[in-house]
Amino acid sequence: MASFTHLHTASAFSLRYGTAFPEALVRRAAEHGMDALALTDRDGLYGAVKHIRACHGTGLTPVVGVDLALDGGPASRGRRGDPPRIVVLARSGGWGALCRLVTAAHHAGERGEPYVTPGMVAEHATGPDGEPLLVVMLGPRSGVGRAVAERRDDQARSLLAAWRSVVPDLVVEVADLYGYRDANIAARMAGLADSMGVPVVLTNAVRYLDAADHQVGDVLDAARKLVPLDGRHLDHPTAHAYLKDGAEMARIAARICGGDPGRAERLLAETRRVAERCALDPVGIVPLLDPVDPRLHLPETDADPVPLLRRRCEDGLGRRGLDRSRDARDRLAAELAVIERKRLSGYFVAVSGITDMIRSLGIRCAIRGSGAGCLVNYLIGIGEVNPLDHGLLMERFLSEGRRGLPDIDIDVESARRLDCYRAILDRYGEARVACVSMMETYRARSAIRDVGSAMGLPPHEIDVIAKAFPQVRAKQIRAALSDLPELRDSGLNDRSLQAVFRLAERLDGLPRHIALHPCGVLVGNSSLRERTPVERSLLDFPMSQFDKDDVEEAGLLKLDVLGVRMQSALAYSLQEIERVDGRRIDLDAVPHDDAGTYDLIRVSRTLGCFQIESPGQRELVAKLEPRTMHDLIVDISLFRPGPVNSDMVTPYLETRHGFREPQYPHESLREALRETNGVVVFHEQVLKVIDVMTECGLSEAERARRGLGTPEGREAVRAWFVPLAREKGFPEATVERAWHVLDAFGGFGFCKAHAAAFALPTYQSAWLKRHHSAAFFAGVLTHEPGMYPNRVILDEARQCGVEILPLDVNRSGESWLVERTGPVPPRRPGELRVDELGRGYGLRVPFSAVKGISDAEVARMVAGRPYTSLADFWERARPSRPVAERIVEVGGFDALHGLRPGEPRWRPGELTRRDLVAQVGALERASATGVTAGSAVQLPMEFTDRVTPGELPEMTEAEAVEAELAILGMDVSRHVMAFHGDLLDAIGVTRARDLLTCRNGAEILVAGVKVATQTPAVRSGQRVIFATLDDSTGPVDLTFFESVQGHTAATVFGSWMLVARGVVRRTGGRAVSLRALHCWNLVDLDWLWRTQGIDAVRAVLSETPAPGGGVGGRPVEYGNGFRVSPYSDNGAPPAAGEGRFLGRPGEPQRRLWHASSGSSGPTSGR
Amino acid sequence: MSRLYGEPIEVWVRDGQPAQFVWRDRLYAVREVQDHWVVAREWWKTSDADPGERRFWRVEAASGRQVGTYELRFDTAGDGWLLLRAWD
Repeated sequence: MASFTHLHTASAFSLRYGTAFPEALVRRAAEHGMDALALTDRDGLYGAVKHIRACHGTGLTPVVGVDLALDGGPASRGRRGDPPRIVVLARSGGWGALCRLVTAAHHAGERGEPYVTPGMVAEHATGPDGEPLLVVMLGPRSGVGRAVAERRDDQARSLLAAWRSVVPDLVVEVADLYGYRDANIAARMAGLADSMGVPVVLTNAVRYLDAADHQVGDVLDAARKLVPLDGRHLDHPTAHAYLKDGAEMARIAARICGGDPGRAERLLAETRRVAERCALDPVGIVPLLDPVDPRLHLPETDADPVPLLRRRCEDGLGRRGLDRSRDARDRLAAELAVIERKRLSGYFVAVSGITDMIRSLGIRCAIRGSGAGCLVNYLIGIGEVNPLDHGLLMERFLSEGRRGLPDIDIDVESARRLDCYRAILDRYGEARVACVSMMETYRARSAIRDVGSAMGLPPHEIDVIAKAFPQVRAKQIRAALSDLPELRDSGLNDRSLQAVFRLAERLDGLPRHIALHPCGVLVGNSSLRERTPVERSLLDFPMSQFDKDDVEEAGLLKLDVLGVRMQSALAYSLQEIERVDGRRIDLDAVPHDDAGTYDLIRVSRTLGCFQIESPGQRELVAKLEPRTMHDLIVDISLFRPGPVNSDMVTPYLETRHGFREPQYPHESLREALRETNGVVVFHEQVLKVIDVMTECGLSEAERARRGLGTPEGREAVRAWFVPLAREKGFPEATVERAWHVLDAFGGFGFCKAHAAAFALPTYQSAWLKRHHSAAFFAGVLTHEPGMYPNRVILDEARQCGVEILPLDVNRSGESWLVERTGPVPPRRPGELRVDELGRGYGLRVPFSAVKGISDAEVARMVAGRPYTSLADFWERARPSRPVAERIVEVGGFDALHGLRPGEPRWRPGELTRRDLVAQVGALERASATGVTAGSAVQLPMEFTDRVTPGELPEMTEAEAVEAELAILGMDVSRHVMAFHGDLLDAIGVTRARDLLTCRNGAEILVAGVKVATQTPAVRSGQRVIFATLDDSTGPVDLTFFESVQGHTAATVFGSWMLVARGVVRRTGGRAVSLRALHCWNLVDLDWLWRTQGIDAVRAVLSETPAPGGGVGGRPVEYGNGFRVSPYSDNGAPPAAGEGRFLGRPGEPQRRLWHASSGSSGPTSGR
Repeated sequence: MSRLYGEPIEVWVRDGQPAQFVWRDRLYAVREVQDHWVVAREWWKTSDADPGERRFWRVEAASGRQVGTYELRFDTAGDGWLLLRAWD
């Protein structure tokens, strides 16, 4: 018997509908002995490339279609309001038509709710010569199917006739999922089709891999429809929509045909015929399946791109002063040979056009990543890094043997990234450009939210439960509950929640919604829309339905335009320097050898600087003591999970400081490894080592390096490397030593080109902090490029001598402004006085920092300055009442009305902030009556202005700071710790500035506001919590090992102000951190102190903690021996947040501390 | 008219379909399967990991000379058959 082909199959890429991934479906079809499989996801072709690749890999013939909602007018809508659906398959050669139909469907519908009309389908169903390109299947969910089910046979007949008249290749699809009357409906649909001469096919409307998946499907139905689980809301009340084998499908055919074997055979044969005419050519759609000569989709250029690029490079040699350099000419010839053989000249021409355009808009723009290693990029002005200067290699970017496409990455100012996109769109037109998308998948928190709603839990409970979890995978939920001390004692481990967690785990990794990729832009030619379906992103950009991997597989070339907040911060700082001091600074021309800047870095005063502000980096720069740009490049490359885990840091530091002689596995490797004292730090060095030892050439070496990422790959590379190196005459011991280095390095380490691109803004930010502190902080506070919340940056500014100026309606702006406050002390060269860095300057809190303020309000407030009174402000700036009250509470009118919070609180005859708050109420009531009375006459100012000064008490200083924290998210007038000084003195807390005087091993108490918690991957495989406190004299870094987490984790994650006991660890000349033993919530201690006195506090502090369980969970073990806790952040470097959009800095400012993704969320109110 | 019973019965299955059953001590031979459908249990209301599904069969069956239509139900979780209703 010939095999059955499923023509209607939804994968997990049918969002919140399907449950199985294309690869798994294809594998199952192959196990069933099928020779073809269709993927017909709902609303898009999101999984098509993965499906085609999987089919190609297993030898199946791919069929692709889409399951679309139909808008045929209100009459066609079903009883439950969900629209009828049809399935459209691409015939062989119909891929382009299918892409265009999907694009049109998304264009017609609301975002996220695409639909087609019969007219749209008809328009795409035939080619220019009338040849059919698409098959339209009308199934049980189509209008025809519904009419049959409801016994409206005449309507069914006329609907089918209408379709037949516009679509040449039309079939009726029958399915029987064993639901009540399913078989009966299928039989009558088949009868109707037979009577009208329309072919009938059999499907199983597949959405599960196994029958047992139907519970997940039910939850997804409820989540998609935003309803609680109930029989009424389910799409498939049975569990039979799974990928059945041919025998089962034959039984269904027999059931539908009432036991008539001839009819059943005809049904199956017709199904096969449709599958045959829809067979797609995998390589035609996914060109990279052809490794030798993939048919790429290249951008259009005005002229033949090959001579064009050659000419541009030649011009570049002259412009860069390299036309006499032999090295440069040789390198260029080699690079152009590879580029031309791969037919990529047009891509480079197009990208250089784009970077020229971005720079012409006045946007800071820099090349990053491996592209910096390519001389062509330097010559045609895509990047400003000369690869010959830094020993960077082209092969890391593009090489002969490398499968896949080169990928040029460009960093631009984050605040202007979308301007860049718009400019590219305008220049090339929507038909040729699209952004890349990415699938957001279910993780622990989102899975708990959706399952919780489906199971009918109250929303606020769901919120509390979801936020209690760290950002882990959904399938780790129950493991996390028993492994993590802060969750173990949380009461979440309750039996009643077990079902929720069990189901939430099963949603693990399923796609949840589609989003704009943070940087990818496709640049193609006018046939782009034939190769990928395009929908609209939230911000209305055209967005391919393919993710970044699929895009590459589909042979589409892309450019990564990444928004980097630090670039925006730098641009803003420069603008403030020019505005306040009248100095124009060309940051790219600042020399890279400024001793003052390196001094600042070496004493780890790097809060706010790019890449080097995290606690770990502050420790590393203090040990490494960078003095040159190259040192910074090494520093950035070393601070990665790979180098940290394989312990490359210690040998490097020892040789750097002369404690140890550099060692080289062989004399011939000295050249490659000299720059890092014999330690392999960069990818480029791995390439050179492999090349030197095997003489295989750099392209081949790059191929081998990529293999080092996985244990199997390492084995394969070893089997190739060791004999080859022996053959070249290296002694066995040397080969072993060299291999050991490569093996330990693994697939980690860092591309030097990338680090070189990073080091530049790192240096530039430190230079600005050193020489223009106030402007630097203004930029950082405005664009928030780093890991720390603004209150931490603000405190750092305060410690650097910058005056923090409160909100003032007459002086504040839209964003942070620098003001001159006094004389600038003379600079004494060679001496770093941190507290004088910003002396003479102040930073003014902006309007935009006020909680809940809208952009329009900010604009009106700024435009209306100056104001003569609160009433004047109310009249002209027209703030909402809560915003006006908040501005009063944080002192926005203090200067205007001569207010001053603090004692005495009762000041008869003197106006207070509270009087003004009361006046805001009066003003609102007055304007409200004015409006309702319909009178155009304004109430006289004097009436509303009349308040009795001093009627209400003034705010205390503590209340003022509390208001600042609540409204601005930061303590402006004083550091919040200032209120706890007495208690801290009484219990003998050591302050951050005195830590350097503590001896190693001393046990001390520290205290502070929690600034950050991180759980990075560390060598031991433990989950280690790093917490940073700020006590107004500097940062205190605490390390909580697993042994103390049993009694501390809940407090660390759940409190805002902490007291901790720890042991001093001196890790370098200027580096101190503490190994924590115990910790307490300062707010609790403070309450205890106030109610029961100091002895009660001392008693609590001296209690021995109850032995609690540590952290469970088996560490993930890597092939080369290091172990990582399953709850650590997965190696994301501190810059991982760079891809974020810069929205309005509204909500994030309420963020009071940084928590990395491995940290648990808030577990208490604070 | 049909009558509701809901009584446990013993059933012999052939080719995935009921072939004979014993109800109230009488043997019935299935002559034709008229309809067959499945209802998944409302699993979210139970605490079982797999509450299974209910399979319904409407059959024409004969006991001796008496022919009638019967609705049988098989519960996968309980692994037991019921005679739900009869038209005789």
